[in-house]
Amino acid sequence: MCAWDSVCKSVRYKCCKVRRGLPGRGGMEEGEPPSLLWGLDPIFSAYARLYVKDILQIKESCQVPGIYFYKLHPIFKVDVLGTVVYKREREDFFCYGVDDSTGVINCLCWKDEQWKDHSEPVNGSKALVTNHGGFNPAEQLKKLLQAQHSSSHVEIGDTLRVRGPVKTSRGQREIMASKYYKVTDSVLAVQISWMLEVPQLYCRFYDKPFPLTNSVHGSTVTDADGASAHTSLLGRASCLLKDFLREKAIERFRPYDLREQLVPLVSCLSQKSSTQQEPAESQSSLKQLHNLFCETLQLLQDEGLVFRKVISPDQVYQVTENDKQLHRVTKDVIREDSKREKYAEKGCHVLHILSCVRQRYSPNVSKTVMEVVLKSLECNSDIISITDSHFTVL
Amino acid sequence: MLPEPGVFHFPWEISSGAVQEGATVRTFGRLTCYQPADSQAVLSSQHASTQHQVKVQTAFVEPFHPILGAQYIVLGELESTERDGVMVRARVLNCVDGVDLASLQRAINEQRRYFHGREGGADIQQPPL
Repeated sequence: MCAWDSVCKSVRYKCCKVRRGLPGRGGMEEGEPPSLLWGLDPIFSAYARLYVKDILQIKESCQVPGIYFYKLHPIFKVDVLGTVVYKREREDFFCYGVDDSTGVINCLCWKDEQWKDHSEPVNGSKALVTNHGGFNPAEQLKKLLQAQHSSSHVEIGDTLRVRGPVKTSRGQREIMASKYYKVTDSVLAVQISWMLEVPQLYCRFYDKPFPLTNSVHGSTVTDADGASAHTSLLGRASCLLKDFLREKAIERFRPYDLREQLVPLVSCLSQKSSTQQEPAESQSSLKQLHNLFCETLQLLQDEGLVFRKVISPDQVYQVTENDKQLHRVTKDVIREDSKREKYAEKGCHVLHILSCVRQRYSPNVSKTVMEVVLKSLECNSDIISITDSHFTVL
Repeated sequence: MLPEPGVFHFPWEISSGAVQEGATVRTFGRLTCYQPADSQAVLSSQHASTQHQVKVQTAFVEPFHPILGAQYIVLGELESTERDGVMVRARVLNCVDGVDLASLQRAINEQRRYFHGREGGADIQQPPL
């Protein structure tokens, strides 16, 4: 029983540990970008040429262990060039301390299995083929392997280039070399160009925040997508209604006359209109259609494209562009008042026209509706504008 | 345990005593003298029309093939003894004859300028939370 208890405890403990390591919202509080966006940062998939000093200091992600952050850039693998100042051999790998003059880091370099396996057969075949002369593939292979061996055989003082993921083991940062080789750098040319290049990389890329990460930071992706999808649906709906009203030259309408126009936008209704629907589903789709129509109508009203002449239980909307009576009244107001001495020189102000129109035609005409009417009259050369807000007739 | 990083210093900074004793340094110079018996070498270099000399203790890197007059790069700890004064106890001593010293100096200065700029104010550039 006791043993079983301890097993349970250890399993529970492991589960806790795993949960803590899972991607989640925890990291957001620390200023880490969400793991979903990491792949968008090109530095994440590149071998970052960070200074060893920075590799030793960068913070490990709390969302995914093995990922590190340099100034909000997710870092997975690095590229390092430096002098070997420490060497220890293990059965399967070498451990090299690489010094790039800013820090020293341990690099785990696996021994080359290929070299061990192939060294003997090559030696054995040598005796058989040397007599032929000319091009000797086995000899060339041996030379190639020797070159490979010598470039992976590193001593203290040699220059080594290491690429691979960063790992933290027993509290110590190290690089698990996926590729490593000795750099023949007898006149320091490689090191000098590296030293000149790295500060440039820092200034141009590593030290600059990744713009996308910042803009999306703080809002979840699904929310942003949902909002934009809704906005575009509303935009499409209002375009559809505007086109319909213009094409048919409709002067006034009741809402239920026009609602059908939006049916194609509500996907459920359009797909299943011919087939039998579940009552509940059709209910919700109708509600969706109704909401969309109300919002679109409000949008058109805000833009001054439609308005209600009389507020009554029977909802009748006037279409500003096609309301001939409104146009005539407005034109009359301007023509008559432009003759008055007060307006003769400067023309009639838009607010003056508005108040006259409200008295003569309908008190529900808004300023935006008035502006739409004036713009349309001006386009037809019925009136001319003297300033932004003053109009007259010729 | 890993040793401290060998920070680049110009020979004139070391010979003038600007670098603290015990620091791990990396510097360069022309090998002008080597005494195997004492395991001592001297790297000299020209800067601002003066000759600067850096003494190197070579016990850790022996045996090596000394080429008098060639450029060498040395990495090690700075020590000070009463008898010999300031010297670098070499852990790495590499012949780099043919090195472009002007480029090397520029590269060292570039790196220093970057770190200076970062520690002097760029670190304030924290992400907006």
